[in-house]
Amino acid sequence: MNDVIEHARGRTLTEMDGVLLSTLVMNTAEGHFNEHAMQGTAFGHRVVFGGIVTSLVVGLSSDCFGENLRRDIGYPRIAFKNPVMHGDTLYARSQILHKGRVTNEGGLVRMLVQGFNQDRQEVVEIERDFILKSADGVSSVKAASGGEGEESDLIQGWR
Amino acid sequence: MKIERQNWYEDFEVGQLFRHRLGRTIGEFDNSLFTTLTLAYHPLFLDEHYAKSQGFASRLINPLLLLNVAIGLSVEDLSETNEGGAFLGIENLLFHRQSSPGVTIYAESEVVSARVAASRPQFGIVTWHTVATDHSDEQLFEFDRTNLVPRRHRT
Repeated sequence: MNDVIEHARGRTLTEMDGVLLSTLVMNTAEGHFNEHAMQGTAFGHRVVFGGIVTSLVVGLSSDCFGENLRRDIGYPRIAFKNPVMHGDTLYARSQILHKGRVTNEGGLVRMLVQGFNQDRQEVVEIERDFILKSADGVSSVKAASGGEGEESDLIQGWR
Repeated sequence: MKIERQNWYEDFEVGQLFRHRLGRTIGEFDNSLFTTLTLAYHPLFLDEHYAKSQGFASRLINPLLLLNVAIGLSVEDLSETNEGGAFLGIENLLFHRQSSPGVTIYAESEVVSARVAASRPQFGIVTWHTVATDHSDEQLFEFDRTNLVPRRHRT
């Protein structure tokens, strides 16, 4: 806990990703797929939909615990910091904020995930709650020193 | 005649409810494509035999795909604009149950707050609470979404 992980892989977001994924999820805002319409605007070009940015950054951050994910509980917060354009490369950094009690389903984890672009600007900040499988009743995430700290309503609700 | 797709800040009033008109059946292809393109290589989403070995009837849909579809279904009513709006963030996203490919998603949103942006008075900041349900009206997940929305009458 409290260790900051810089995840190994980066991913360049291409025009293909931006257009394919925003249309796949039926996002009708032209800012994601009409280059001509975006030319007169402050952005100047199509922008990558924030939902895609979020999903990719979370994907990049999940290499360390892959198959141990048991269940996603929710995302307390997703905040966009800077726009992402076609051609930007994203990287992920994560940090465990809190670990909860272990049950037969696994252990609750609250994780902070940050996405950065090739210029080291933060593009998104994410807090997510999920249950990780535990090995023999002990959490598979390295144990931290110190107590559990304050618990949020969400964690109490999960209990 | 030219049709406009534009949502202005003045169009929203706290408590206003929108039932977004389209639904979307999420299939195995959607789930695998979205999950692999976003590098979310979880066997629960991608490996049918693994998912069954964990006690699920079949693979699970990547929850972020569910979120993105619900947002997508709501955009036309809430946040479609070419006048400089921006997606600011999401809060309190909570999944009530997990879904497998074949589920059909519908969404409904309520305006929970609307105020002029102090630092950018040509825009308002609007928050909507969206609830996603399946075809039998069972709640799947919910979240708050906040956008910068352009004002119709610029100061």
